[in-house]
Amino acid sequence: MISYINSENLFNLLGLMSLISAIALFFVLLLKSHNINQLQESVNNLKRSLDEMDEQAKLVVRTDIELNKTQEELDKKLTGLYTLQRLSRTISSTFDEEQIFQKIDIADLEEIGFEKALAFLWEDKERKFSLRLNIGYTEDSCAGIKSQVDANKHTYWESVRNEKTLSSISMLLENQEKERIKALFKTNSFVISPILPKEGSRGFLFVGSDKNPLITIGDEELITIMSNQLGQALENARLFEKTWHAHQELENRVEERTRELSRALEEVKIVSKRKSDFVSSVSHELRTPLTSIKGYASILLAGKLGAVPEEVHKRLEKINKHSDELVQFVNDLLDISRIESGKASMKLVPQGLKVILEEISDMLSVLLKEKEITFSSELAADLPEVLIDKDQIKRVFINLINNAIKYTPKGKILVRVVKLDGQVQVDVSDTGCGIPENALDKIFEEFYRVDSSLNQDVKGTGLGLALVKNIIEAHKGKIWVKSTVGEGSTFSFTLPNAF
Amino acid sequence: MLTAFRGYYILNIMLDIGIGISSGKNAATAAEEISRQAKANKPTNSKADLALLFTSPEFSSANFLKTINNMLGGIPIVGLTGPAVICNQGIFKHGAVLMLISLPEGALFSSACVKDIKAKPGLDSGEEIGDKLLYGFRNITRSLGLLFFDRLVEDGPSIISGLQDHLGRSFPCWGIFPSDHFHPIRTSLYFNQSIVTDGCAGIILGGKISCGVGTKHGWKPLGKPHTVSAAAANIIKTIDGQPAVKLYEEYLACDLNRLKKEIKTLSVSYPIGVFAPGETEYILRSVHNVADDGSLICQGHIPEGSTIRLMISTKETCLKATYEAVAEAVNAASNPMVKFSKTKTSQLAIAFSSFSRYNLLRKDANRELEIIRESLAPNTPIIGMYSCCQLAPLMALGYRGQSYLHNQTISVLLLEG
Repeated sequence: MISYINSENLFNLLGLMSLISAIALFFVLLLKSHNINQLQESVNNLKRSLDEMDEQAKLVVRTDIELNKTQEELDKKLTGLYTLQRLSRTISSTFDEEQIFQKIDIADLEEIGFEKALAFLWEDKERKFSLRLNIGYTEDSCAGIKSQVDANKHTYWESVRNEKTLSSISMLLENQEKERIKALFKTNSFVISPILPKEGSRGFLFVGSDKNPLITIGDEELITIMSNQLGQALENARLFEKTWHAHQELENRVEERTRELSRALEEVKIVSKRKSDFVSSVSHELRTPLTSIKGYASILLAGKLGAVPEEVHKRLEKINKHSDELVQFVNDLLDISRIESGKASMKLVPQGLKVILEEISDMLSVLLKEKEITFSSELAADLPEVLIDKDQIKRVFINLINNAIKYTPKGKILVRVVKLDGQVQVDVSDTGCGIPENALDKIFEEFYRVDSSLNQDVKGTGLGLALVKNIIEAHKGKIWVKSTVGEGSTFSFTLPNAF
Repeated sequence: MLTAFRGYYILNIMLDIGIGISSGKNAATAAEEISRQAKANKPTNSKADLALLFTSPEFSSANFLKTINNMLGGIPIVGLTGPAVICNQGIFKHGAVLMLISLPEGALFSSACVKDIKAKPGLDSGEEIGDKLLYGFRNITRSLGLLFFDRLVEDGPSIISGLQDHLGRSFPCWGIFPSDHFHPIRTSLYFNQSIVTDGCAGIILGGKISCGVGTKHGWKPLGKPHTVSAAAANIIKTIDGQPAVKLYEEYLACDLNRLKKEIKTLSVSYPIGVFAPGETEYILRSVHNVADDGSLICQGHIPEGSTIRLMISTKETCLKATYEAVAEAVNAASNPMVKFSKTKTSQLAIAFSSFSRYNLLRKDANRELEIIRESLAPNTPIIGMYSCCQLAPLMALGYRGQSYLHNQTISVLLLEG
């Protein structure tokens, strides 16, 4: 009974346990299934998020492309403008037409997105284009392109004449000309822009690129600016050349005139030397017989050959006096000649002018008194010594004061000495008849005498002022005159300080 | 084919560098100018052991190289031409830079060159140059291999693989492909007295010299990941089972015709980033062309099955990457696994940056050089070249990992000794 119960109970217990297990398993499976569903949902959510993120990534890329494109254009323009500015500065730095094109460098070209460039200018005489710039082509391929350009010169000349820029972007897609240009210049993209200086031959600039097939309107604009700058530089160079030629011609003319003047001056010098030699020679020849004449006249006057009648004595005195004048004249001529030829040596020593003036005042006092002329001198208090040949300067004073006495019927003579910078100025003024204005320029010339009624009564050789001028200039000084007819004259000269 | 090989033990105390730069148009004058300047700028009179010569393509002539060889007295010259050269004074699209290097005592290098690489399997070319570089370098600690190609070659990865078969799988290779077959200008290599096209020149550095490399680009992934479902070498045929061009059509909202015209420009801003397991940076691939069937033709290989993302950047992230690349190189060079010198050392930096970065940064391109200058010790000699592709390990040199082919990336190598 017990065993039956036990086995029955055991059976029931096992059944119950199985039932509980089945229920538990059901619940576990139910729970797992829920978890799986949750996980699946999470996976789906993740997948959806990933897809959404991928879509967002696509939006990011598309926005980034637009931004990059704008940035690239901006960068390209900035770089292009910088390069153009640099190029403009470089090509403007020369006025040599050939140099202008040589200043364009491959590095500059690459900065603006191209690696090939050719520039042609139209030669009127030869009726064909000449090549001025080659970047990126071998000499052979360049020669080939040039011959084709010359063969189709009307096409290119038309672009220049119309002042129109052509490019692979502005020409229509199926344009045959565009394809022909691409094939000829062996390039994917190109810009051809006219070079238009206002004067002289015109031409065009070609730039091309294989690397940059997508050129923009911005590129076209940059190249147009570049060709305009080339045109401007050519114009400047030509203007400069024109001005330079004109200047050169002027310089040549000046040189020619200078040469002519130099030749004339040399001739004048030769003539002057001949004149001086002649005067010197004649003077020497005159002095010998004059000395004899004067000597004999003196002997006769002294009565060494017996008493001479009164009338003869008077004539002899005249002979003697005129002989003295003639000797003085000959001496003046010789002095001028010596000074002009540089043969007269000046014995320059430091000397005060006061002493000289006092000596002259004494010497001329009788003459001054005779003509009732007041002579005075004004010397600045702190006058420096001057470097002079005393005898020669004394002759200057004597000549000038003598002249003043001669041409001042009655009145005053004033000698004023003032100090200047490094030199002194002497003014000899009189209240005489004055010198006509038209004679002022000529008054220091040899043998010149003012044509006036007064002068006909006053004796003179016309050598005094010429001698004075030569002496002053031999002292490295200057002499000039100011005069008013009827009021008087002032002769001024300068002398260098001794120290 | 071996054109030249040199192996040298060096006797200087520390790195002794002189740089000459010319932006003149005349190649003969420029050759004299850079040689004279580089010699004059070397702090000591010690004979240079090696010359690195980077120029723009118009300088590549036999006379130019001959003049330099004559003026330098026949020291090994390795270099190349490319779209723009970098040096302390600036970036020159038309210029020549010569760096004379006297390596410190205990440092060792060898240089070699292979030609006609198109005519033979890439693995063979790689093995050949590896073999030549290793000659005289057995049992010597080697630090880094510098590889210069005249342009991007189809077999580039195979050549690197062949080289690493000889030098070691984890041996870091650092180098440059100055152009590719889309590039209109033909670039070439300088190797001693030869100008080489269709070749590869290499230098292996070892012994007591520390090297640090930093490689960054600054592009960030955008949108959801995609899988390259069909690819062959540098052509992505399908992405997620769809024609590959759909990726750009959808993200950029451009039709096929516009993409065919503009993909080269657009992919500078939005390249493809390839996920590289174990690396923190994505490897960038620029797209050069769109085929009629919608395939994308890239600069460099993309393995089938790769996870890729569309990438995006700003000028700021690009320049920040430059900071990070230099910092990584400085960190790696100043904390080497083996410290060779306890005395004063000097440095030199070589920077290879992508010409796409130059175009993207435009007027701010000089900032990249300024950042390199600012981040290094004052007066550190710097030379470099802009290029189409860069070869570099992604992490700092301390991590001995795989070298990748990069686009739009800057990689800085710092040598200290």
